Amino acid sequence: MNNVWFVYMFFVAVLLFTGVYCLLTMRNLIKLFIGIEVVSKGVSLAFIATGLAKKSLLAAQSLVVTYIVVEVSLVATALALIINIYRKTKSLDIRQLAKLKG
Amino acid sequence: MVLQTLLLIGLVLSSVLAILFKDLLRSAIALAAASLLLGIIFFRMDAPYAGVFEISVVAGLITVLFMLTIALTKGGEAAESKAVAIAFPAFFVAFVVIDVLVMRKLLQKIPALAGPAETGTFGQFLWTSRTFDLVGQIAVIFAGVFAVLALFRKGKDKDE
Repeated sequence: MNNVWFVYMFFVAVLLFTGVYCLLTMRNLIKLFIGIEVVSKGVSLAFIATGLAKKSLLAAQSLVVTYIVVEVSLVATALALIINIYRKTKSLDIRQLAKLKG
Repeated sequence: MVLQTLLLIGLVLSSVLAILFKDLLRSAIALAAASLLLGIIFFRMDAPYAGVFEISVVAGLITVLFMLTIALTKGGEAAESKAVAIAFPAFFVAFVVIDVLVMRKLLQKIPALAGPAETGTFGQFLWTSRTFDLVGQIAVIFAGVFAVLALFRKGKDKDE
């Protein structure tokens, strides 16, 4: 792999770290979801950077397009879930969910 | 490569701001800025289709969905622990140092496996090689639509 690929991978790793830090430490449900989005940006960048390095950009692009479509469905469903959780608990705190009883 | 590196630094900075801002609306806007920068980076890497999707769908549609959710859940903000924002720079710098060391060590160590040369256009590739992905995409979109419909369904008991 060429040196440019390592530069991209460096930034991919930083993005993944930022997203995972958010997921591990934050309490707000919307903030947690923003963390997932940051991780997904790193993953998209990794796909395209690897496609560029291996000269298979068409495959990488088609995978990223598929990934973005999946991401939109995921975001829509998860945000609908967050709104429902807010209606039930009147809070976006993730710790409130641990107290729920069926 | 200098401009590309600056764009990548901007992408990381706006992502960091997105998780550190206390105001959720500002976080959503910082996330949209990060998507915009990522789209520009894709364009500069000769991946225009991924760039178009990233800018139109992620920076546009997902930001709108985030803003709608923030507006609908106003007043429910959970207070974040102050230690999280204070500890972040230390962890971030430590990670960047480790990342630089690992990448320098790995440089030129990972072999590039030869793949078949690609020919044709993006459309041809998508329709011939990745046809099954398109079927999967349609299934995922329908699954998302039905999930949202199920989540916002109004029970009859509540109306009466």
